[in-house]
Amino acid sequence: MILPPRVLIVDDEERFRITLSKLLAERDLDVHHAGSGMEAVQEVQHRLYDVIILDVKMPGMDGIEALREVKRVSPGTEVILLSGHATVESAIEGMRLGAYDYVTKPCEIDVLMEKINGAVEVKSARDERLRQAEIRSLVDRRPT
Amino acid sequence: MTTANDKYWKLRRFAVISVSLAALVPLTLFWGVYYEYRLSTIEKINSVITLTVMNHKEFIDRFLQETITAMKLVTNLESRDDLKQTENLQRIFNTLQKEFDHAFEDLGVIDSQGDHLAYVGPYDLAGKNYKEAPWFTQTMADAVYVSDVFMGFRGVPHCIVAVRRGEGREAWILRATINAAKFAYVVESVRLGRTGQAFIVSKNGICQTHSRICGKIMERASPDVVELAPFEGVRYRKTEKAGREVLVAKTWMNENRWLLVVQQDADDAYGELGTVWHRTLVVFLLGVLSVIGVAFVIAGRLVRRIEKGDEERSLLDDQLIQSQKLASIGELAAGIAHEVNNPLQIILMEVGWMKDLMKRESLKEVKEVSELAESIREIGIQTGRCRDITSKLLSFSRKMESVVKGVDINKLLEDIISIREHEAYLENITFTRDYEANLPLVHSDPSLLRQVVFNLINNAIDAIAKGGEITVRSRLKSGTAASSTAPGSPGDSVLITVADTGCGIAEENLSKVFVPFFTTKPVGKGTGLGLSICHGIIQRLGGAISFESQVGKGTTFIVEVPVEHKRAQGGAEP
Repeated sequence: MILPPRVLIVDDEERFRITLSKLLAERDLDVHHAGSGMEAVQEVQHRLYDVIILDVKMPGMDGIEALREVKRVSPGTEVILLSGHATVESAIEGMRLGAYDYVTKPCEIDVLMEKINGAVEVKSARDERLRQAEIRSLVDRRPT
Repeated sequence: MTTANDKYWKLRRFAVISVSLAALVPLTLFWGVYYEYRLSTIEKINSVITLTVMNHKEFIDRFLQETITAMKLVTNLESRDDLKQTENLQRIFNTLQKEFDHAFEDLGVIDSQGDHLAYVGPYDLAGKNYKEAPWFTQTMADAVYVSDVFMGFRGVPHCIVAVRRGEGREAWILRATINAAKFAYVVESVRLGRTGQAFIVSKNGICQTHSRICGKIMERASPDVVELAPFEGVRYRKTEKAGREVLVAKTWMNENRWLLVVQQDADDAYGELGTVWHRTLVVFLLGVLSVIGVAFVIAGRLVRRIEKGDEERSLLDDQLIQSQKLASIGELAAGIAHEVNNPLQIILMEVGWMKDLMKRESLKEVKEVSELAESIREIGIQTGRCRDITSKLLSFSRKMESVVKGVDINKLLEDIISIREHEAYLENITFTRDYEANLPLVHSDPSLLRQVVFNLINNAIDAIAKGGEITVRSRLKSGTAASSTAPGSPGDSVLITVADTGCGIAEENLSKVFVPFFTTKPVGKGTGLGLSICHGIIQRLGGAISFESQVGKGTTFIVEVPVEHKRAQGGAEP
């Protein structure tokens, strides 16, 4: 049985988190959500996520800072940044910190799903490459 | 406007008065100098006439004294008997004539009884007896006598000089008649200007010489011409005679028997002063007029320059205010856009969720489901519109990094026209191209420039609606820099003009054209951000955008883009 991709929604708007959770659950994703950057970091420390949808502008720890922490704790998790005011500077910084993509609010669910699917594929391909590499390394280590 | 005009009028008046006063002070000083000169000249003229009468008195006195001395000498050197001889008397007469330049008319010898012993002269006077003649009595008494002019035996006016020699019965007199012409010459030799004249009046008021002022010789002088009151020294006064102002100097002479008068018309005496006065007046008036003229010219130029400076400053202030307004509106818009985007995102998510729910079997039975789906779709469309607005707002406020490259403006214009031409043709709108050939490449951001021109052409099409013309023009504008000689020199710029024959912009809307959200287009057709974004872009590219509009005739937008890329100046960038 293939497990559905696990997605974490991080946004300070509760209604957004709830609705997006329902939408993504409807699309067969394992959805969790967090109300702040700090909560997101704690969540990542406990559970492995395939994709995180991270709002850039939040009170307390903002999205960019949270991204830096998330990537430190879980480098394999893909992060899609979501912002109400996209600037070239914040986008470049996000990409440099390892974000998968940068989406400007408001965006339709189909657009967001495309990005999530893309991120899941990238992560799966990378995980697959890692797994293959691990198998090869185990085979190589087997005593002859 | 009236206040501004009042200000400039007051400024002009102040400048005229200040400059005039500053220049009139030296002129007034000049006038003071002239006045001093005039006083001193009048004093000099007065002293000249006084001096003249004194000198002339001395001259006449000397003439008479020399005559008397010569005659005394003759009586001392020659005896009466010798002089009785006509030849001797003639010889003496000739000698005297020679020595005194023919000052004598005749010469005679008279004995103590008054008998004329000998006579040399033009009249037949030999043998005449002068015992009763006043001059004879006076000479016998005083030894020397100079007579007034009288008629005598000869019946013509003459003056005699008589010298007595000896006493009692032995006494005799040498008498000479002064040549009338010579005496007149001596007296009248004074020349003062055109009207200056000297004459002698006896204390009885009889003219001793001929003069225009006094009258003919031997005539009685009019009392209002000559006052005969005795006095010492020289008397000078300015008086009015026969309607003329005259300067009179006089002195008594010949033992106070003759009054020597020198008189000159004041106009003549002060003639030079009058000329100087007229010239000074002309110079002063010309000076005043030219000073006032120059003051007006200078004040006019000064005020025009200030007015122009004020206009330029006012324009700059307006531009600065406009830029600041746009910048603050931009910041506000960005803030609003950012805040609005979050709820928009939720709405879109809710729409997505509702769409998901609509797909469920349980809802397919509901009768109004199609109407509900339509409403949900409309919510999606309207949210999309909101997103477009916030997106434009953000692009208006966002600091974009320009990608600068060489742009062929004519090609850029042609590219945009070719995109819109077909659509415009359907609305009966034609494009007229008026490109300047050989334009230099403009170092700018082509995509931003394209956005601006595209926007202007779209607006032009909207303004015309149906049937009209859009003229797109490109021109090179030479920079003001001295080095800017070749096309494309630093300081040069390219002007892009988009002129339409549309409805024009109403006067009350002229000031709002570049203000964000201002639009006259129907609801849903325009966001009111196009021109404010164009304004921001052109400012960012270091250029300028302006427009002219006439209601009913059309609008012309002029975009100036520098050939050399310049970053936006000041804090106008939002």
